Amino acid sequence: MTRHLIHWTILGLVVLTTTTTVGCTTRWIDVTRSPTSRQELVTQSILNNERVPLVMDGFRMTQNGAPQNPSAEVERRILNTMHETRLFSTLIPFGGNVGSFGDKVVTARITFDETIDSHSGETAWKGFLIGASMFLLSPVIDLDYDYAAEANLELGRWDGQIKRYTARSAGTAHYTVFAATPTMIGELKGKVTEACLTDLIDQLTRDTNFYMASSAPLPDSPIVSVTVKTRKPLPSPASLSAVPVSTAPAP
Amino acid sequence: MPFLARILTTLALMSFLMTAYVHAADPTPKITVGTQEVGLSVGYLLPHRLTQDHTTKQQGVALMPSWMMTLTDPIGGSWYRGQVSLGAEMVYIQFQEPFLTHGLGFTPKIKYTFVALDRLRPYVEFAGGPFWTDLAGKIPEESSRFNFILTAGFGISYFLTNQVALNVGYRFQHISNAGTHYPNLGLNASLPFGGFSFYF
Repeated sequence: MTRHLIHWTILGLVVLTTTTTVGCTTRWIDVTRSPTSRQELVTQSILNNERVPLVMDGFRMTQNGAPQNPSAEVERRILNTMHETRLFSTLIPFGGNVGSFGDKVVTARITFDETIDSHSGETAWKGFLIGASMFLLSPVIDLDYDYAAEANLELGRWDGQIKRYTARSAGTAHYTVFAATPTMIGELKGKVTEACLTDLIDQLTRDTNFYMASSAPLPDSPIVSVTVKTRKPLPSPASLSAVPVSTAPAP
Repeated sequence: MPFLARILTTLALMSFLMTAYVHAADPTPKITVGTQEVGLSVGYLLPHRLTQDHTTKQQGVALMPSWMMTLTDPIGGSWYRGQVSLGAEMVYIQFQEPFLTHGLGFTPKIKYTFVALDRLRPYVEFAGGPFWTDLAGKIPEESSRFNFILTAGFGISYFLTNQVALNVGYRFQHISNAGTHYPNLGLNASLPFGGFSFYF
């Protein structure tokens, strides 16, 4: 009986080792870019003195529609990506001092929306199946983790003209249970964000002439004004479901 | 019970040493998809004789090293908000009554951890798998050495740091051979336990 048990134990260990070894190597990431994104490289020349500073004026982040604390990492990454284009002479992060950069300045407002779907319910059931099979099904049952990013960039020129850019990308990490690591999720987010920012910068560089210093004179009025307003509240589920409709004509 | 006393003393000493790091830690542990957990739990098996045919008062120390993998981000938005993790556990039981015998098992395990209470995280767990014991044949409830062990339990984890948690809980265990040999009355037991987990 003891010999029988040893045989089964050895067999079990071999199967477990094989499944974990095979399972550990199985993971891949699919990234889909926005259908509007283009593959060709955009290159334009610009005189050094035609470049103006870019000032970060606002940065908002949401995750699955819920506002989040702005991530300094994401802000830095966006600024770095914009800096690599060499379109602007200087990039000043949110809250930086802009006093010494003259009047011709481009202001930037960015919103970065993340959508995460870890397929929790589906993964829980698959996990149950994998456990019930003593992990034998782990190499053949794939788990998925979806991540999508949308970046909105609003650039305001010194003369008050505004241009808006939007880029989206999404990706899915497919993995087996033994291949799951927090690093994998980081890789997915990194690749999707990179694709999104590449598309955004691609759109921006097509408007290079719009941001050249000679593209527009300074406004005649030396008085600069800003609009002070409250934030538009996010729509609540109740307000989404109950849309006020007037059936009576206005008096 | 010198063996159990030694292990419990070691666990208590480790938890005391680890509490020194509590105040320097980030307030909320971040357990994400892919986070792994290794743990060690120790408990004492107490018998339940559920029918008149059950006569054995088996008891003994149980030692349970485990490994878990977090599969999901937190599910739900209320008190039941929690995460699912999957893993496996070795179970070693040293039956001290009615005879000094041993049992060894391997059980895949699934756990749901409630995350709404921040550092204090209750959980429920289920496990089942093969179990070998030489207690069989010496008692009327078990006739074969190859058995299965089924476990259902609950517990609570307290995160001392973002990576280390202390666990206490209760499990109900059932050991039987699934009808492969007769008689097969099975053994039922309560297993209060304590231990710690390391997350990485």
